[in-house]
Amino acid sequence: MSTAVVDYTREEPVVAGRPTASEIDAVVSAPLDRPPARTWWIAFGITSTMLGIGVVCVAVTLWLGLGVWGVNQPVSWGFDIVNFVFWVGIGHAGTLISAILFLLRQRWRNGIARFAEAMTIFAVMCAGIFPLLHTGRPWLSLYLTPYPNQHALWVNFTSPLLWDVFAVSTYFTVSAVFWYLGLVPDFATLRDRTTHPVKKLVYSIFSLGWRHSSRHWTHFERAYLILAGFATPLVLSVHTIVSFDFAVSVIPGWHTTIFPPYFVAGAVFSGFAMVQNSLIVVRQVFRLKHLITLSTLEKMNKVMIVTGSMVGYAYAMEFFVAWYSGSQFETFVFVNRALGPYAWAYWTMVTCNVVFPQLFWFKKVRTSIPMMFVIAIFVNVGMWFERFVIVVTSLSRDFLPSSWGHYMPSIYDVGIFVGSLGLFFTLILLFVRVLPVISLAEIKAVIPGAQPERHRPH
Amino acid sequence: MNERNQWRSLHEEQDAGTTPEMKSQEFMDGVTDAFDPETLSPLSRKQFLALMAASAAFAATGCTNYRDKGEIVPYNKKPEEVTPGKANLYASTCTACPQACGILVKTREGRPVKLDGNPDHPVNRGRSCATGQAAILNLYDPARLRAPHTGAAASGTGEVSWDRIDSEAARQLAACIRDGKQIVLMTAPVTSPTAQKLILEFRAAFPGTKVIVYDRFHQETRRSAWELCYGSAALRPVAWEKARLIVALEADILGNEGFTVEQTRAVAGARDIMVSNTFVRLYSVEGTMSLTGTNADYRCRLHPEAQLEFVLALTRAVAAKLKLAAASLPAGPDLAAIAHRRGLPLKTLEHLVDDLVTLRGKGIVYAGSALNTDVHVAVNYLNELLGNTALYGPAEPATAVTVTPPADVASTIADMKAGKVGFVAHLDVNPVYHLPKVLGYAEALKSVRFSVAMTDVENETAQLCTYMLPVHTMLESWGDHTVRTGVISLQQPVIAPLYATRQQEAILLRWMSASTPFSELLYQEYLKRHWESAVFPSLGRLTDFLTFWQMALHDGVVTTPVSAQAPLQFRKDALASLRLQEHPDRYAVVLLASPYLGDGRWANNGWLQELPHPISKVVWDNYAAISPAAARALGVESNDLIEVSTESGKVTLPVFVQPGTAEQLIAVSLGYGRWNAGPVGSNVGVDVTPLLPAGCLTGPRVVRAMSVSKSEGSYALASTQEHHALDDTFVKDFHLKRHIIREGILEEYRKDPHSLGIERKEHESISPRVEFVGVKWAMAIDLNKCTGCNACVAGCNVENNLPVIGKEQVAKGREMQWIRIDRYYSGTPEEPLASHQPMLCQHCDNAPCENVCPVVATNHSPDGLNQMIYNRCVGTKYCSNNCPYKVRRFNFFNFRDHLADGYYQQEPVSLMHNPEVTVRSRGVMEKCTFCVQRIMEARQHATEAGVTFDGKQVETACQQACPAQAIVFGNMHDPGADISRYREHPAGYDVLGELNVKPNVTYLARLRNIHSEKRA
Repeated sequence: MSTAVVDYTREEPVVAGRPTASEIDAVVSAPLDRPPARTWWIAFGITSTMLGIGVVCVAVTLWLGLGVWGVNQPVSWGFDIVNFVFWVGIGHAGTLISAILFLLRQRWRNGIARFAEAMTIFAVMCAGIFPLLHTGRPWLSLYLTPYPNQHALWVNFTSPLLWDVFAVSTYFTVSAVFWYLGLVPDFATLRDRTTHPVKKLVYSIFSLGWRHSSRHWTHFERAYLILAGFATPLVLSVHTIVSFDFAVSVIPGWHTTIFPPYFVAGAVFSGFAMVQNSLIVVRQVFRLKHLITLSTLEKMNKVMIVTGSMVGYAYAMEFFVAWYSGSQFETFVFVNRALGPYAWAYWTMVTCNVVFPQLFWFKKVRTSIPMMFVIAIFVNVGMWFERFVIVVTSLSRDFLPSSWGHYMPSIYDVGIFVGSLGLFFTLILLFVRVLPVISLAEIKAVIPGAQPERHRPH
Repeated sequence: MNERNQWRSLHEEQDAGTTPEMKSQEFMDGVTDAFDPETLSPLSRKQFLALMAASAAFAATGCTNYRDKGEIVPYNKKPEEVTPGKANLYASTCTACPQACGILVKTREGRPVKLDGNPDHPVNRGRSCATGQAAILNLYDPARLRAPHTGAAASGTGEVSWDRIDSEAARQLAACIRDGKQIVLMTAPVTSPTAQKLILEFRAAFPGTKVIVYDRFHQETRRSAWELCYGSAALRPVAWEKARLIVALEADILGNEGFTVEQTRAVAGARDIMVSNTFVRLYSVEGTMSLTGTNADYRCRLHPEAQLEFVLALTRAVAAKLKLAAASLPAGPDLAAIAHRRGLPLKTLEHLVDDLVTLRGKGIVYAGSALNTDVHVAVNYLNELLGNTALYGPAEPATAVTVTPPADVASTIADMKAGKVGFVAHLDVNPVYHLPKVLGYAEALKSVRFSVAMTDVENETAQLCTYMLPVHTMLESWGDHTVRTGVISLQQPVIAPLYATRQQEAILLRWMSASTPFSELLYQEYLKRHWESAVFPSLGRLTDFLTFWQMALHDGVVTTPVSAQAPLQFRKDALASLRLQEHPDRYAVVLLASPYLGDGRWANNGWLQELPHPISKVVWDNYAAISPAAARALGVESNDLIEVSTESGKVTLPVFVQPGTAEQLIAVSLGYGRWNAGPVGSNVGVDVTPLLPAGCLTGPRVVRAMSVSKSEGSYALASTQEHHALDDTFVKDFHLKRHIIREGILEEYRKDPHSLGIERKEHESISPRVEFVGVKWAMAIDLNKCTGCNACVAGCNVENNLPVIGKEQVAKGREMQWIRIDRYYSGTPEEPLASHQPMLCQHCDNAPCENVCPVVATNHSPDGLNQMIYNRCVGTKYCSNNCPYKVRRFNFFNFRDHLADGYYQQEPVSLMHNPEVTVRSRGVMEKCTFCVQRIMEARQHATEAGVTFDGKQVETACQQACPAQAIVFGNMHDPGADISRYREHPAGYDVLGELNVKPNVTYLARLRNIHSEKRA
């Protein structure tokens, strides 16, 4: 039994060991300087094939119509919206880590913020495919924007779908700007390091003339703080608005006031799971274990247990409110979820989202890489099923039993989902080859001894 | 300088004399003249531009491949009576089924676009049925034959000319007479007196001609019973509207037995809560679940083979109650014994006896045509005993009666096989498919030297003949039809023949007089002559014939005086032949008429294939309907296959577990499984004619099965309504619990109209209330009157250009119909109670679909319509998700292109479309519009006439089609309008009103006219 006393007055070091700034530059930018390894090519081959499958399925959909999907009359939204909400949810962790945790001065975020933000942007790109594709006539999507026209036609500001358009596009824009802003000092570092003339030119352009001067740093810090403040409400708003797609409707199982917090918690939950999954691979492959420490991963697991429990609470509360409301439609929807034709999906969701993350109460599990990796995968699966349960079961059996139906995805639905996964991981693979996966500037700020520290008398 | 003669060229120098003069004139001749318009070219600037434009247009058209040359006639000389944009109505007769209803054909710019009932017709009175509504598609079916064509028996292949057909037919007919071979005409019952005369003349012209008349559903058993009981096979139609009590024995009088349009109207009319609190009481004793059974006040589940003992027991019980001495009837079990053995509720049977006795003379017991002659004899006796014969009207006309006895058909087929027949003409019949396979008609046809089939679309018989002769469809034909004594319905063409087709009567006429050249007027003149000589004089009209003829064509129907009828004399000795048969413990198969395809004739009509079966909601298939207990016994479920064999043959059928089916019974529809019906109708369902015994040409259609066994594999039936097990408590009676269907008992309603528990309350709302001023549209549907027959669905399909999507798309849940009939069950799987409810867009005031559409493609009109703007719709489908009634329909594909390789995109289908309604493209949401095109037309008329539009004239397509008149539509702000009374009626309710969506469709609760005991 270890008798080591934890000193809570001292912050745990975020970075293990005492790497120097140049060592950090070297290790983080190493993948950028060498040609990709064989394993990278294999991974890239797999993900781009998945992407190709998706492209083919999208082309078929555009050519023939939505009829190639599994959607039908009661269930007019299927994999399309499930995947949309799933990907938007994945995208949540990035902004949460980079903005909220930044404002809360959580130093451990510095090692993972860059990667999480990149993931956010890629996930929102994946998410963006689906609302576009799910319309019957995607070539008329322009109608969803309020542009002045001679017909005096305007959009409908009472429709949550329109709010979605604004919420998601704003979120994407702010995330991308925030991400790029953080990259500026790193581009300068890379520019300074490289000898390759083309790279030098490219890095020079993107570094916007950064000279590491104090004035630059002052402006940078201020801009970063403002953007963090700007992005923080977006973390809450985007998924809140996505949840309005359902909550504003009259369909039992959708028409619920609990949806906004429930969706945000779920989004953070799934986002952290996806970040954790990806980071475990990245820190292993690129030998970044000392920069993304086990302790950081453990902290992420703690976030997961909190949000997972919130989600579990929401599941229970939905049942309670359905019963308490006395509305027979509401009651039936939830009984039907648990016992009806889609019970398998419901119980998959509960098992993955509520039961497995509870294992993180055990420190052994929380700090075991294989265990956390598997649990995070379960969480991703479970959160996908959560969206499936919400979208499909509610629609398949609503008010009039005569129009109840059954939804079965087609191969094109599955293909486009595979394609979105392909797009996501292809972008991740490209990202790790061309940009530093850890923010050089930020991680240097949290290496031991980087900050002025009052000498502690013994 | 001036003196010197300067020159610039040799020419100038040599011509020195004239040059100075020319030089002195600065301007050319005429240039300085005064302007005189007279001298100008006669071509004005306008003319010049016109010429330029014309030459440019000529040059442009000369460069295009404009193949329609000479076919599009611009209305620079406007045809009389045609105003572009304005519909013309012509009276005619629908011959899609033997009911021969009077119709009004709506034509637009010369092409028929819609059929509806002729209000002046005394039988159907302006109403129609689903098959009739969809019949418009038969005219424009791309599969129609466009010229005479060779069949399998011809030497060559390809199209042939009519001249060659005529000369060859004349030669063959002459050869038959010379060689002493028989000439056979195969025909369906001829309802036209003129055509009947023509056939007689044909027989006279070609002695030895045999006319074979057959019809699968021709009430033959009923007729032979009448022959036995009353000495005449001429039936006397029941005056249904006078009946206070109807007992239907395996008779689907509201489905497809007899004059269904008239019967539906009569039954519904006698259940009109707005008119009277007294309803007709309807009992249905049946083994198959039929529309009549689901609409009955009492339904008793009885195997068709037990009907005779049931009727006899009933007769004895009635006689005992009336203290009459019944004639000697075969001994059999009494009602209590039958109730015990067959599981019938004895209480209901006692009520039945009481009602028969109490309402004697005002009730009718009516047996179905699938039952054998004995049952009909017993039923006739029971009606006789009760004095119910008072409800019989005048005997039906001679045109309705004759069909050839099965033995004669068999002997003719034998003659054909023996080579004694030299010439067979099929007058729009398809015996190769229809006749029991054991008769071997297809083989017999091969031994005939010359055979022709007159048909509009190639069929199984035509394929085997020497020639297929394309004939006019009903909308291109002349005719007169009599199916009710004293009523002659006229048929006139409403469009010039689309192709090189001929009217079949004209073909016969041409063959009869080889010297006269063919003309399109041949039969028209024959018909007119017949009327002038035979019909007109007997009417005693004061006008001249031509005026009369024009008026008759205008009205579409002529009523003739009906002579007094001799009273019916019942012959009691008919009862002597009654034999109660022992039925072994084996399955029986009852072969039903298809709900909408007739005898299979309309198989290529996609709209009819896609109309859901009124009970099971299955589309594009027939199936073996069995009871849940039978399914357990056979170890099968719905969609499994079973093999059914009778003495004549066997078939493999998909199973559909139909609640309410009698035990030991398999109910299956005829009319499916055609193998050469056209691209849409071929190989849809299973042909069950192999089960028919040789003698079963026209009934009875209850056949004993030799064996029934589970077969390997399965077959997916597609239905428009998901099926839920009745005994699943999880979802049981949801339609009642959710107040979707409201039902009550008539007697309790009479005591207290508010006993139905319908409360109307104004719900709180956070959104401001929208006030509607002026006309506001609303619809009410009377569930007492609605039988669930689907006529409204078919009518809506035609009016609103709905596509046919095919079985595979229906199976995926993408049916497109804007109005649907929901069917709900309550009770037990053995004895279910069914409810029908038409469901369509409710045009909610607070429509949930409207606020979620991001592009305002669906919004509200000032007159209360929930509108769809197709051009603006991007297809997010959010509106459909948010619709509590799920009545929105999405174009997942361009369905016209998707079905059968774009079958319904081929010409001339596009000519059929209602020009007032947009044909929707792929990716667009659509739904019921309350027939906004009709509203706008009426509004336009009011504006033109300068009167305030009060909305009185508007009738929606579903309302117009409804034979039960269950649909009321109008301006709810008009206190005098029917709709206002319906909305305020104590039995009126809205579906899902608690959502505060404020639907504008209300329903009248269904009241069951049962005795005061509570429903079990």
